[in-house]
Amino acid sequence: MGSEDLVLELMKTHVYAYHEGHGKIVDFGGWAMPVWYEGIIAEHNAVRNGVGIFDTSHMGRAVAKGPDVEKYVNRVVTNDVSRLEPTQGLYALMLRPHAGIVDDLITYNMGDDEFFIVYNAANREKDFNWLMENSGGFDVELTDVSDVMAMIAVQGPEAVETLQKITEEDVSEVERFSIAKITVSGLKCMAARTGYTGEDGFEVFVLDCPVEEPVKALKVWNDLVEAGAVPCGLGARDSLRLEAGLNLYGSDIGETTNPLEARLRWAVKFKKEGGFIGMEALQKARKDGIKRSQVGIRMVGRGLPRSHYEILDGDGDKVLGEVTSGGLGPTLGYGIAIGYVPMEYRKLGTPVMIRIRKRLVEGKIVKSHPFYDDSVYGWKRVRT
Amino acid sequence: MEEGENMSEEYNIPEGLLYTEEHEWARLESDGTVTVGVTDYAQKQLHDIVYVELPGVGDDAELGAVIGALESVKAVSDMNSPVGGSLTEVNEELLDSPEFINESPYGEGWIAKLKPSDWEGDKVHLMDAGAYVKRVAEQSH
Repeated sequence: MGSEDLVLELMKTHVYAYHEGHGKIVDFGGWAMPVWYEGIIAEHNAVRNGVGIFDTSHMGRAVAKGPDVEKYVNRVVTNDVSRLEPTQGLYALMLRPHAGIVDDLITYNMGDDEFFIVYNAANREKDFNWLMENSGGFDVELTDVSDVMAMIAVQGPEAVETLQKITEEDVSEVERFSIAKITVSGLKCMAARTGYTGEDGFEVFVLDCPVEEPVKALKVWNDLVEAGAVPCGLGARDSLRLEAGLNLYGSDIGETTNPLEARLRWAVKFKKEGGFIGMEALQKARKDGIKRSQVGIRMVGRGLPRSHYEILDGDGDKVLGEVTSGGLGPTLGYGIAIGYVPMEYRKLGTPVMIRIRKRLVEGKIVKSHPFYDDSVYGWKRVRT
Repeated sequence: MEEGENMSEEYNIPEGLLYTEEHEWARLESDGTVTVGVTDYAQKQLHDIVYVELPGVGDDAELGAVIGALESVKAVSDMNSPVGGSLTEVNEELLDSPEFINESPYGEGWIAKLKPSDWEGDKVHLMDAGAYVKRVAEQSH
């Protein structure tokens, strides 16, 4: 089958017309998405040092509404949403009863008994079904809104000033992990101060924009390009999130990892009222003792770690685990990885070896959330 | 380009070199050694090459054997030897400047030189520029 036939079979986002003309298209879990436009490194650097935009319209989005909405969302996610004021959001996980991770997500309290939930593209169907299955007994109505709005991430230290150029309201007032209704390119949108790059920025939701009529999404996208944002593909999205130490669902976390070994304890609230699905199993796992831990590894010797490469102890005698994602950190200039090792090897500075093809290459356990110095890069940096 | 005219519109595929199905090239030098590297098509598919693993000088390589690896941000690609022989030189510049392969796949981006063990015999398995242009056209459309 030729590459053009292949693309016909794939799902397309609102912004596909732009990708088709400008990017290198790949099959990303059934979606025709750009892996890059000009090049991964250039796009990565644009986001670390300036501003880039990503089409993330393939992600899943749902609205939960009804008198029981807060109780319901609190039951299906691990974090405590009862502390959210309207417009505030937080990162959380959904767990199976055995504590494996269904997905990671961000949920926002929209006010008026309404929550907005944003989750991974690859899990769109699975997550919505899970949300539906577990809504029994709650007075709440769920709607999959993925196809009726587009989603564009604007990321980088210049994200605020760039989005401001085409927005009526003051976007700098939107606080981190909050969401606001704003007017972008004269169109009704929402903007959340979130992202998947480690940088300051927004995820902009272009409302009333069905995927069959993507004019509004394309208008916002093109206006952002006009305003100086660099279009970025999935390649840079992955290298940016890796440097920031953010998990990729399906690689670093999944149905066979629990949040404690994935170092996501901070997103789990055991003491909240009503508990959450998977809580008993997770408490038991905690009591029995967590056997392995996610760690960050940086290469000391030459070579790039990739997913499924073996992690060995510093002498290269014993296999400890494997890399779950890895590659070059373009900002850092060396190879970095996320992986799992037994608890006794997780200490910062511990030497490890990575099996790269036939060679064992030296690495060590390092701080990985983020891998870079966060006084120099990322949203916490002080800009002068 | 001294090797002759470009025959593909999209990719630089010079005459005078021999090519493999896996997008490596080989060039017989006047001293009897063979220089090898990857083609313009290969570097464009990989994009932004960020890391190169080179073979060791003195190693023997069989025709088609893996002698190194090229890595982009996203992917790893094996480098197979287009000829059998012993490695006499490797391009160590690539360790610090892997982008040479993107910038000049047939020039500064050469990967290794071999003393061929059976050049005439191995040549039969390789394509000339004309055949390789067709091969690339089949793959990209």
